[in-house]
Amino acid sequence: MSRPAPSPFYTLRGAGGPLNTLHFSCHGGDSPLLFSGSGKGAIHIWNLNTRRTEKIVEGHAGSSVIWVSTLQATDTLISQGRDMQVCLWDLSESRSEVVDSVWTGSVGFCQCSMLETSPRNYLLAFAGQQSEEIKIIELPSKTPVCTLVPDAKLGMVMCIKLWQPDSGPGPLLLAGYEDGSVLLWDVTQRSKLSQAKAHPEPVMCLTFDTKRLRGISGSSEKKLSSWIVDRQNNLQIQECVTLVNPGVSQLCIRGDGKLLASAGWDHRVRVFGWKKLRPLACFSTTLTWCKALLSLTTRTPKKDCWLLDPRTSGSACGQYTTRGLTLAEL
Amino acid sequence: MPRCSSSKSMSSSLFDSSLKSPGQRKKKRCRLWLRPCVHVLENTCVQSWETLHGLFSELCLCLCSPADPGKPADTSEELKLAVLRCLDALFHAAYGDIFFKLFEPVMLPGLGAAISLLLALGEKEKSRDIQVAALMCLQALTLQCDCTQDHVVPSPEERCTIGSTMASFLPGITTAVARIITGDLRQGHTVTVRAIKVWSRTVALVLDDTQLQASKPEKTSSDLGRIGQLMVRRTPDWVKSTVGKLSVLLKKIISCTSAHQHWKVRLELVELDDHLLSRCSQSLGECVGLLLEALVGAVNDEDPRVRERCEVALREVSQRNQSCGSSSAQTFTDVLSENLHSLATSLPRLMRTSDDQKKLFVLNVFLGYIKVLGPLVSVVLNSGAHLERISRALMQVLELDVMDVRIVEERSYAPSIETSSGSGYSDGAHIQRKHFLYFTDEKILCVLMEICRTLGYYGNIYLLTDHFLDLYQQSSVYRKQAAMVLNEIIRGAAGIAVATEGQGVESQVRGHSPTQEDLKVAVVSVMEEYTSLKNWHLITVSEETDIDRQDQQLLTPSRLLSISNSNFSSTNANSLQVIPSSFASTSTSSSSSTLHQLNSNIWQLCIQLEGIACFAQALGRDFRSLLMTSLYAVLEKAGEETLLVSQAALGSMRDISKACGYPSLKELINENSDYLLNDISVNLQRLSQHPQAPRVLTVMLTHSDSSLLSLVGDIVQDVLIALDLSYDHTAALFCSVLHALMKALARWFPPSCRRTSESARPKQTSTQKEVFNIRQFLLDQRKQKELAEGIGIEEDDSEDLEFPPPTECEDVEDLGGPDVKAELPPHLSITKDVMERCIHLLSDPSLRLRLKVLDVLELCVCVLSEKENELLPIVHRCWPALVQRLTADDPLAVLRAFRVLCTLGETCGDFLRRRVSKEILPKLSSSLTRQAPISAKAGPVYTHTLAYKLQVAVLQGLGSLCQRLDLAEADLDAVCEACLPYLSCRQPIRLQEASQSVFRHLIQVDPDAFWFTLNELHCPSSYIPPHPDLHPIQLSGMGRPRDEYSDNVLKLLREEFGSVAETVDQPVS
Repeated sequence: MSRPAPSPFYTLRGAGGPLNTLHFSCHGGDSPLLFSGSGKGAIHIWNLNTRRTEKIVEGHAGSSVIWVSTLQATDTLISQGRDMQVCLWDLSESRSEVVDSVWTGSVGFCQCSMLETSPRNYLLAFAGQQSEEIKIIELPSKTPVCTLVPDAKLGMVMCIKLWQPDSGPGPLLLAGYEDGSVLLWDVTQRSKLSQAKAHPEPVMCLTFDTKRLRGISGSSEKKLSSWIVDRQNNLQIQECVTLVNPGVSQLCIRGDGKLLASAGWDHRVRVFGWKKLRPLACFSTTLTWCKALLSLTTRTPKKDCWLLDPRTSGSACGQYTTRGLTLAEL
Repeated sequence: MPRCSSSKSMSSSLFDSSLKSPGQRKKKRCRLWLRPCVHVLENTCVQSWETLHGLFSELCLCLCSPADPGKPADTSEELKLAVLRCLDALFHAAYGDIFFKLFEPVMLPGLGAAISLLLALGEKEKSRDIQVAALMCLQALTLQCDCTQDHVVPSPEERCTIGSTMASFLPGITTAVARIITGDLRQGHTVTVRAIKVWSRTVALVLDDTQLQASKPEKTSSDLGRIGQLMVRRTPDWVKSTVGKLSVLLKKIISCTSAHQHWKVRLELVELDDHLLSRCSQSLGECVGLLLEALVGAVNDEDPRVRERCEVALREVSQRNQSCGSSSAQTFTDVLSENLHSLATSLPRLMRTSDDQKKLFVLNVFLGYIKVLGPLVSVVLNSGAHLERISRALMQVLELDVMDVRIVEERSYAPSIETSSGSGYSDGAHIQRKHFLYFTDEKILCVLMEICRTLGYYGNIYLLTDHFLDLYQQSSVYRKQAAMVLNEIIRGAAGIAVATEGQGVESQVRGHSPTQEDLKVAVVSVMEEYTSLKNWHLITVSEETDIDRQDQQLLTPSRLLSISNSNFSSTNANSLQVIPSSFASTSTSSSSSTLHQLNSNIWQLCIQLEGIACFAQALGRDFRSLLMTSLYAVLEKAGEETLLVSQAALGSMRDISKACGYPSLKELINENSDYLLNDISVNLQRLSQHPQAPRVLTVMLTHSDSSLLSLVGDIVQDVLIALDLSYDHTAALFCSVLHALMKALARWFPPSCRRTSESARPKQTSTQKEVFNIRQFLLDQRKQKELAEGIGIEEDDSEDLEFPPPTECEDVEDLGGPDVKAELPPHLSITKDVMERCIHLLSDPSLRLRLKVLDVLELCVCVLSEKENELLPIVHRCWPALVQRLTADDPLAVLRAFRVLCTLGETCGDFLRRRVSKEILPKLSSSLTRQAPISAKAGPVYTHTLAYKLQVAVLQGLGSLCQRLDLAEADLDAVCEACLPYLSCRQPIRLQEASQSVFRHLIQVDPDAFWFTLNELHCPSSYIPPHPDLHPIQLSGMGRPRDEYSDNVLKLLREEFGSVAETVDQPVS
């Protein structure tokens, strides 16, 4: 990396608190939106054309928002807060009201995972009241689908990822546990398909590329560990990437499956080529400790990717553009 | 009165008999006879050809001289006039059918004679009336009279007859009349107007399009003989050659009348143009260009009547050409674009050579063409040659003169920004005018700008912006002009300041007006180019003067002037003093080419800044979304040191805020502070590439208010961290930011209560005025005495408690509150952070920086004064460094440090008093005492030494310090003792003055004590007690002879105790 790291393309200010989570939403004609959940319970909706807050919705009774997402089809926002609630918001026609909420009972930091099964229905997976259990319900009917509890003692659920394989009939779920294992669950069978010990330390984050059936997970150590799900739905640990500093809080693969970004405890965002896990760039925020958050999108034509990280004051997310990097071979 | 047919036959027969041969009559009788004749003719009709013919030839005979029938007779003017009237009346009275007999080929010789007579009269006569009458007759003869009487309306065939007959006389008439028109300038305008009328009507009659197009073979009877040779056949060849000759005449006429002083003449010229263009635009061929040029040139006539007529004419012309067949419209457009092209070609030459009047005319013509072309402009511009030609012409004409030295010299210092922000919209004192190489008249610039706007209004916005952007990029020679043109084109495209004649028509005509979206795209592309790195970050300050200037900037303001501007600055040894404003001359001598370049850069920036304002005007509120990229750039320039640039930027900011609908600059900045701060924070991290970021922050702070604070907090942290990371290189830059920040904070949060300022400062010298109340004095004294003895100490809150040490006050807070300290308001926590940095920077090796830091520190103290618990600990930490500045630094720093100390004295007097009296006063007074004998003995060279400057600085600061701190008596005595030697007249004069100032302050603290002290030294008068019982006063200064101190002591006594001294003096004298 001979070139100096690029400076942020723009800094969104004024969130008024540390940010925990980010989510991009780029519907066809509208200007792209960015949702951010703050530690003070506010969800800011940023218009990325004007780069200003379009709307601020407050829920979760002031406790921090740890996950936000939107549904493709409708103007529905889903947010998870540390008040053990998952709220569904109706944002259509400039409304902003909670239409429904689900009590999770989880006191951990495990973020939910959502899978849209049909235009109307979608599955939501979340950590349950018991530290190891994962609950899956169908929304908006709130019908419980299943509860997944591992046989062995694996500790708390740290991160989950719900996905729909092309071949299989039902959705599958990837879950990382406190003891460092990653488990693959079959949701319809309610059974464990396979298990792999990816890390000696708790799995802090994982992400999965459903096209290549390849995933990667990070922990509190210096390594990123990548693994694949083979045809028999077995998890196989593949190569590792060693980082300079320990601790990874978030991983994210760009929509086109070319870039992987990791957010480290060392306030750095590292970008890798997803295919060969070759390091490409490292963005430093220089200023603060940060629990870096990532969200990548390919939908904005001019910027190849957006990486975001908050500051202590939480008032900012920097957008970095990787345009200046040699991304040709990706 | 209607002409009744019954009487007319009678009267005509009457004429018949009486007029048989008037030629033989005496001239006098002839005149007598003419009068009733006119009357009769005016009221009757001539029905018979014989009468008409007879009268016509008789009257002609009357006019011509008997010897030479071709020349007018040498008769009296009255007679000629009467004959002409009569002729006129005859033409009016003739019946249509017989009138046309005049134009039969047989009549040619007679008609020719009459016409040449009339022309001769019109040309040669001295009397205007005769001239006019002769010309009127000519008009009436061709049935073109424009008087109010009834006229015969000829049928097309009849017109054709007249036309073909008159064709024979056309050369004669046109040359002669043209001579009249272009003849004597002093002849009355009526003659000229009439002549123009005759010219235009005759030409229009002969070369009428409809007649020529009909072009039926005119039958020529062979029996005419010689007369047949006179006949002219209007063949195309003939027309062509005639038009060639006519164009020469026309050129003469136009050049003579287009700038005629009288508006009626110019109006008539417009009429001529209009008439000819409407009647015979096709047959006139090459003349059309000339006519159009003249018409177009009158579009911007100074007289509104001419202008209006011309506009009507032009509109008719353009409509006629659009409505009628495509081929003719094509030719018309061709003519126009041809004219435009040739004018554009010759424009640079004309602009170089001709005078302002002519230039203005030429440009008006240019503008007129564009206006006449209207929407066709875009068609014309599609031709590469035309566009190229026009743009080159504009580039050359608009070349700026960049030789003015003052532009580079002028600097805007921070204070000037401040004041301009305070006064809001009061525009900068002067907007610098642009100086052009080829013209000086402001009107010319206006026309040029209007040309650009009109081009933008009608032309294709994409084509134009692309083309001029190309020129802009091509060469630095064209850059400024191209930018100017671009600015106006975009304004014009938005329809701003474009003179739209006849709104209704216009809106239809301009069908393809660019949408707001088109405009925005164009603006974005131009603005990107303007604000790109290479076009925006231009050097406007020559490097070597930069440091000088900064020094000067630091040194000049406020009280330091007294030191730096004294007479010793030229031979200054330790190079602290700056020779003011001398760098201008050095820079000019060093390299004028670079100066040239700098000037050019400055103008380019100004034009680009104006451009951004223009774009904002063009887009209106839509410009708001572009503020994201543009506002930072403009603010960057508003912080520039070059006066012209910063003024232009401020002006631009005002225009932008107006265009975007913000009520003032403050709102503009506040509502877009997120955009600005983002750029600032990004650029702060790469300061080496973007050194302007702090400047932008400075501008923001000066123009905004406290609502900015929440967002700024973040940035200030950035600044401080960036400062921490690189103290060596960037401290100076950041210090100015911190200075601006603290200034802004001090303005936004004025310290609510100056606790000690009121109590510490004794009432000014008003004591003199007060009636001395002895009773009160005695009571007070008794109370003091009792206090001293310890009586009543309980109820009085004494000064024993004085001030708690800083550590204690923190403890108190900790005890009182919970473990967590209450969060400070943001501005105070920022101030605290800044002050922390100041502690380190106070001992920076660079003097400039130290001075700046002292200024910042002073402001910090002001802001923080409202929270003593925060202030005192940090002052405690600052103290050692400050003491160093006060006691062992450069004189400039000493003085500045004194100011800080005084501010500190105001805000935390008690806290400081003991420290000052313990740590500072002894050192200062001892050094003063030590130096006093040296300076008293020293020669003139001494004033150049550092020791001297230090003495001055200390003496200048000491007085106010003592006063502010409310020092104890012992300290005052010490100060007094140290300063007394400086009252000696042997000291350098400035030391004496400074010492006087110390005493003035001291006297305000304790007038009585120092009155006594001074009198002890020298007492000018003896005091005789009013009552013998009282002891006589003995002062040691009494009766002393004049010594070294007496002058200054007397001066002080007179100034400070003036009235007392006089009243005391009186009984003595």
